[in-house]
Amino acid sequence: MLRPLLPWQAHHMSTTVSEPDVAAHHEPSWRAGLKDGMPPLFGIAAWGMVVGVAMVKSGLSVMQALGMTLVVFAGSAQLAALPLIAAAAPIWVIFVTSVVVNLRFVIFAALMAPHFAKLPLLQRFLFGFGTGDLTTALYLQRFPSEAPEVGKLSYLRGLLYPNWFAWQAGSIAGIFLGSAVPAEWGLGFAGTLAIVCLAVPMVATRPALVGALVAAVTAVLAHALPYKLGLLAGVVVGMVTAMVVEGQIERRKAANV
Amino acid sequence: MSDLEIWLTIVAMTCATAITRSSFWVIGGHITIPTRVQGMLRYAPVCALAAIIGPDLLLDPQGTVEFSLHNYKLLAGVAAIAYYLFRRSMLETIMFGMVCFTALRLIFS
Repeated sequence: MLRPLLPWQAHHMSTTVSEPDVAAHHEPSWRAGLKDGMPPLFGIAAWGMVVGVAMVKSGLSVMQALGMTLVVFAGSAQLAALPLIAAAAPIWVIFVTSVVVNLRFVIFAALMAPHFAKLPLLQRFLFGFGTGDLTTALYLQRFPSEAPEVGKLSYLRGLLYPNWFAWQAGSIAGIFLGSAVPAEWGLGFAGTLAIVCLAVPMVATRPALVGALVAAVTAVLAHALPYKLGLLAGVVVGMVTAMVVEGQIERRKAANV
Repeated sequence: MSDLEIWLTIVAMTCATAITRSSFWVIGGHITIPTRVQGMLRYAPVCALAAIIGPDLLLDPQGTVEFSLHNYKLLAGVAAIAYYLFRRSMLETIMFGMVCFTALRLIFS
């Protein structure tokens, strides 16, 4: 398919000899993205469903829950925000908590962004917004190098679109399921269990494990702080502890060499 | 929270997603994050998740620490962690944890 050249493309063509077009549609890559993204879709839909149930069970109305899932599109941050919303914490505390839970995406974005640096601004914003844990992992398996290659954007689209639909379908199903189930069933606890499943693989290293335990204990001890600041106190103390433990392990390694 | 406050919260959370996921894409080009900062970015999310789980499992609705066999969330949560370590499946773990929680609740209440 021929498209008119944008100014920067024309400039680029004149300086370097026909660099591969990352953004052009490439059917085999699109199909490969769809195929590679298929196996986890069921899990994503189920995870969306748990978050959907948790949202309505923690007191959001169906409209609010639908709004949240459609625009926020970050399951772990949504789960983290629910107890804070239920406890009527200030909005800025919920905002900071969401940013903190999402901080891992900053690392992913730094790895992914250079691949697509030449897309138009709005596309970069939207594709970045839609790229979560799984999409990053699958994409970087296929394209570890930042060098421009034909089909990169098609592959990303193939991963991303079904992922988005599976998540939304699961969430919406969960929202309606949750609103039909009585509160006594305690289905909101499924949200806590989902956070447990997210956290356990993240404590694979010793600094992370120590930091997480310290964060949990700090949050329990500091739960009475005003504005629900106990959670953020836990994050700060836990993170500093993890960094100290990491530093000590590195120093010990250096001493042994 | 009022309806308006919840919608404002949703807007704020959307900004949180945009800041963390889209910033580097918008800047574009290659950015190297210093190792120390990477450590902080890596440890902060798991600390936040742990700081949510801890009070959720340990505190009763009045906000006192409940370390007893009547704390069904704690028992079911510990069982779920063990199950996850053993099976590594999120869906199974959530179902297993919910079954434990529901069974404890129905048997002892």
